[in-house]
Amino acid sequence: MGHTSLDKIKALQKNPANVRNLCILAHVDHGKTTLADSLVASNGIISSRLAGKLRYLDSREDEQIRGITMKSSAISLHYASGEKDYLINLIDSPGHVDFSSEVSTAVRLCDGAIVIVDAVEGVCPQTQAVLRQAWLENIRPVLVINKIDRLIMELKLTSQEAYTHLQKILEQVNAVTGSLFTSKVLEDRAVKEERAEEDKEEGDIKPAECPGSEQVYDWSAGLEDSDDSQLYFSPDQGNVVFASAIDGWGFSIQQFAQIHSQRMGIRAEVLLKTLWGDFYLNAKAKKIMKGAHAKGKKPLFVQLVLDNIWSLYDAVVTRRDKEKIEKMMMSLGVKVMTRDSRHSDPKVLLSAICSQWLPVSQAVLFMVCDKLPSPLDMTSERIERLMSVGARRFHSLPLQTQELKTAFMQCSSDDTAPVIVFVSKMFMVDAKALPQNKQRPLTQEEMGQRRELARQRHTERLAAIQQTESGEGNAQSGSTTPATTPGGDNTIGKLRVSQEEEEKETFVAFARVYSGVVRRGQKVFVMGPKYDPAQGLRMLPEGSTSVSACLPPVPHLACCTMDSLYLLMGRELEELEEVPSGNVLGIGGLEECVLKSATLSTSPALPPFIPLNFEATPIVRVAIEPKHPSEMPKLVRGMRLLNQADPCAEVLIQETGEHVLVTAGEVHLQRCLDDLRERFAKIEISASKPIIPFRETVIRPPKVDMVNEDLGKQQKVAVIHQVKESDTLHLDPSGLVTLTTPNRQATVGVRAIPLPEEVTLLLEGSADLIRTLEQAGQAQREGRTLDMSTWTLDALMVLKSRLEVLLQGRKWRNAVDRIWAFGPRRYGPNILLNSVEGYQRPSVWHCLEREKGEKEGGAKAEASAIRDFDNSVVSGFQLATLSGPMCEEPLMGVCFSVERWDMNFPTQRTHLDSVTEKDSNSLDASVSESPGEAVGQQGASGKAGGAGETPSQAEGAMAGASHGRLVDCYGPFSGQLIAAVKEACRHAFQAKPQRLMAAMYTCEIMATAEVLGRVYGVLGKREGRVLQEEMKEGTEMFIIKAVLPVAESFGFADEIRKRTSGLASPQLVFSHWEVISSDPSWVPTTEEEYLHFGEKADSANQALKYMNGVRRRKGLYVEEKIVEHGEKQRTLSKNK
Amino acid sequence: MSIFTPTNQIRLTNVAVVRMKKGGKRFEIACYKNKVMSWRSGAEKDLDEVLQTSSVFNNVSKGQVAKKDDLSKAFGTDDLTEICKQILAKGELQVSDKERQSQLETSFRDIATIVAEKCVNPETKRPYTVNLIERAMKDIHYSVKANKSTKQQALEVIRQLKESIEIQRAHMRLRLVLPAKDGKRLKEKLKPLLKVVESEDFDDQLEMVCLVDPGCFREIDELIRCETKGKGSLEVLSLKDVEEGDERLE
Repeated sequence: MGHTSLDKIKALQKNPANVRNLCILAHVDHGKTTLADSLVASNGIISSRLAGKLRYLDSREDEQIRGITMKSSAISLHYASGEKDYLINLIDSPGHVDFSSEVSTAVRLCDGAIVIVDAVEGVCPQTQAVLRQAWLENIRPVLVINKIDRLIMELKLTSQEAYTHLQKILEQVNAVTGSLFTSKVLEDRAVKEERAEEDKEEGDIKPAECPGSEQVYDWSAGLEDSDDSQLYFSPDQGNVVFASAIDGWGFSIQQFAQIHSQRMGIRAEVLLKTLWGDFYLNAKAKKIMKGAHAKGKKPLFVQLVLDNIWSLYDAVVTRRDKEKIEKMMMSLGVKVMTRDSRHSDPKVLLSAICSQWLPVSQAVLFMVCDKLPSPLDMTSERIERLMSVGARRFHSLPLQTQELKTAFMQCSSDDTAPVIVFVSKMFMVDAKALPQNKQRPLTQEEMGQRRELARQRHTERLAAIQQTESGEGNAQSGSTTPATTPGGDNTIGKLRVSQEEEEKETFVAFARVYSGVVRRGQKVFVMGPKYDPAQGLRMLPEGSTSVSACLPPVPHLACCTMDSLYLLMGRELEELEEVPSGNVLGIGGLEECVLKSATLSTSPALPPFIPLNFEATPIVRVAIEPKHPSEMPKLVRGMRLLNQADPCAEVLIQETGEHVLVTAGEVHLQRCLDDLRERFAKIEISASKPIIPFRETVIRPPKVDMVNEDLGKQQKVAVIHQVKESDTLHLDPSGLVTLTTPNRQATVGVRAIPLPEEVTLLLEGSADLIRTLEQAGQAQREGRTLDMSTWTLDALMVLKSRLEVLLQGRKWRNAVDRIWAFGPRRYGPNILLNSVEGYQRPSVWHCLEREKGEKEGGAKAEASAIRDFDNSVVSGFQLATLSGPMCEEPLMGVCFSVERWDMNFPTQRTHLDSVTEKDSNSLDASVSESPGEAVGQQGASGKAGGAGETPSQAEGAMAGASHGRLVDCYGPFSGQLIAAVKEACRHAFQAKPQRLMAAMYTCEIMATAEVLGRVYGVLGKREGRVLQEEMKEGTEMFIIKAVLPVAESFGFADEIRKRTSGLASPQLVFSHWEVISSDPSWVPTTEEEYLHFGEKADSANQALKYMNGVRRRKGLYVEEKIVEHGEKQRTLSKNK
Repeated sequence: MSIFTPTNQIRLTNVAVVRMKKGGKRFEIACYKNKVMSWRSGAEKDLDEVLQTSSVFNNVSKGQVAKKDDLSKAFGTDDLTEICKQILAKGELQVSDKERQSQLETSFRDIATIVAEKCVNPETKRPYTVNLIERAMKDIHYSVKANKSTKQQALEVIRQLKESIEIQRAHMRLRLVLPAKDGKRLKEKLKPLLKVVESEDFDDQLEMVCLVDPGCFREIDELIRCETKGKGSLEVLSLKDVEEGDERLE
């Protein structure tokens, strides 16, 4: 068959009844692209000799090198069956699990699918996955059992054995389909029940609407009612093809039925029914009988079909029997070129014979045209599914939207029909490859022009040389050179511009028209995934079906022009003027408004289609950096493009400044990196493990040691960190740390207390709320009021009361009212508690109360007086919580209770501002009261207490400080106080048993029963913990829920897939922070511990490993020996 | 007359000598290489892993053991272990290769960490990663000085990096409250120090929220303190003005 012209294809596109949109799905290496090659060859696009070797649709370099398909690509083929001409839009999809997102993009655009199964390997994990995907998208599959030649050549099966083998494979495939069917029925039932319940609830309100019959409970599972006979693959139904794409042959039962009915005189219909199955030919009676297996006879299929093929292979490949081959060729009516028959490789001859005898493309394309639905036959069920986003039911959509369903069903290409297009992915094309930029052969005239130009340039250059030469001679170069250079610059500039244009790559949308005619330059609405048609219809002016530029802004709705339309022909694109309904096409000019996928329409009533259903979610995270730091902007731009072009990749910038790329797997990652390097960013990049965050916290002293021995009381002293006590720092055994500033004017006493877990969670969850609270407090301190909505106020009150409920017990009496600040950054999960006796300061909840109407008279004045130093304390706390002492990571779940805070100043009492005097007096009196008590406890602060001046004096000093008279050698006093509070907090933290907190992923793993054990193995090795495990109803899949430290997740996906040969697919989502139970500073102390862990115990301490890792990364001191054993160093000197 | 014979020359290959002069005498001990710093930092707790032998020498390479009299005169004790510990703690030594290397590496990392903490990319207001800073430092061939503090060096690095990549110190967000009568005058003086003035509110007193370079903080503080005689105030709203949270690139 010759090359099909573009005009022919255009004509075919207009008849949707004869259009088939289909994709090829299978497990990796089952021969999708090879089959596609044969189909492409049938259209004369590539030589049939090369089919199966060229892999025409694998247009990327790495696809060719690795031998796997990495993207879905489409091609339009023409097929003539009898009278009818068909247009087949074929989409080849990748089989590797990492690219299952590409499969989703392909499946969405199709009405049917060719599922390929390897005759040797049978049903593989990805086969199940693609069957599931096809099922979920409601598209009809047909089956191709490929690589039958391997049964003959590799496994050396007899035809009888091969028959049983094929039967088994068919059973496997049908089993998968069956389980999909049952799970769907069960699901439907569950949904129905739910709905019924909902209806019942609604019914309470509107009893009239509730039909009485709903009350009767339906006990049958519904399985019996639903018909599933249409679903299964069976050769006699005509939806199975047996093939060997590499050798170029394939057949369905019909073909053989026809051949043999003539020869044997049995009706074709009878043969068709009996050719597959337990039937045999009774030679004497010339009758077909049942029960071949029981009677030990050859089944019909073996006798009439397989034996023929087996003998052909035997003759051609195994025995190379020239004569027999000749005879066979005669009987088959096949002519082979002498070149092929003389070829030394028998495979060449074989494929030459087979591709004429049973061409695979004919068999497959016939089946496809016969069995798969055309765009006209789209089921209403599928349309409803596509259009009902989220949990919304189709019937709840606006009326206008429901009307669009008819447009879908009609699939008409009238001008009046609304245009509905779905874009499933964006792919990048070299601008050079676009048809409009392609080089055309030059006309005679243009050649002439060019010649002229070249001649001109040559003379110019000559002139310039002459001029400069003469210029040098005459020393007049100054006047001549400027005249020539600008021209030169200009041309260079132009060259550069054109080069840039050439290098620019454009996005083409991979799309399908569901209704209407798409024309070039047409304007359409672009529906974002969150677009709500009801809202859109309300906001848009009535009857604005035509898309105009001046529209009221509707959320998630954009407007754009389709600049160009393309016919997708594998690696080539052909430009089109218009595309009628039911076809797959490429659209250019959408890169501005479409990210990954979109729904386009001329009608605003169309809801966006349900998002693509991805089998694999992106879980492999890497941090990406440019090799040269100055190329950062290029990297960011490249990552943006990558995000647009890849349906499954995610890119994000983290708070740490890392650029993180999340991909579905290692192979996918490799492809993304290559893309970034060569197409999108065009710079050198490096990918590394992302930085893993930790948190630091303190816990209550543990009761047992590492070997679960009771600790008793002796440990208490040991727990306390060995802090070097100096004259400014004092530590008492209960964990209270007192610290004096370098100029001895202020002393603070801080104690660290672990917060209950629920409180930490609550604080973390309500970070935003706390931030608003903080802002309100800040505003109030300045005497302004920040308007907060009543909703926020209510939320804050709820937060407060919940905190009060959670913080109970003697220790936490009135704690909530005494909260001074949150940290770090003023809204984190740590608390600064004001336990200074008598020091009254407005709590963080203060603004709430005021809003309630309790206005305090002196609030403002008081605020201004304490502002200076109060703020310093808070700042110190913020600094301390931002980076903890263990490895400078933020703290979490720690409460710092300030139990002492005294100021004493050696300066003279100064006059005071009369306004502040009274308030601050009372304040400071209270502040200085506490030392007295503190002295009782600890002798060290006696000096401070003893020297304690009268409250007013201290107060005066405070004022004095703010007057700037106290500039001492230690810098400004507020700074000293900040440092002192920070240090005190850190020491207080260290006085308690400290722990690291690790970020945890929740990990959901779908796995079959046989690989369950390996999944557990991988989880265990990576410190994961299984939370629950349950069986999915109706299938044999298990769903395992586990938690896994983020630190251990690098390479997790890869490992689990390798170990389970792809049968388990994990998903990782960040969930929470968890305390690592081991103490990073722990060393074995008791006898039992020595016995259990050895002297160094370096294996047991996971927390220490994490901590040292972070410290080393940050360049902090790590307590590690440079050389483990001094004696074992290489002792040779250099000159020996 | 002795003939110098290289064959019986004893080479001290795995020996690090720690010297100390005390009481007019020189004392030396023989230690393993790369071990003394670990001992001093406390990472190594086993003295036998540090000392080759517990005897104290006058000259290690000549094998002259110190006399007991000298030792007890200089150290006031004749407990060799005690003396060794003293010499280990206070004596001078040649830092061995690995020790020096790890020291330089640590401070290089430390500098990079400080730079990464303090700086942002002015375009995105996001910090650079430590790795990237390290790479940039290598690109400009920055060499670590062992005798300068890392913080000092970090500031130096920031200055040098500005020439090769887009980097600047993260700004501090300050709130200034100035009394009305000083407001105008002070504002003029402050102008050159402020990078961005985010909001300005002039009713009974001048209130400004602005971004400043952290290097100017003290200057501004001083200015406000002295000029307003304590009536003006200055409050740090945030130490680093950076973008928070993760951003999805779209």
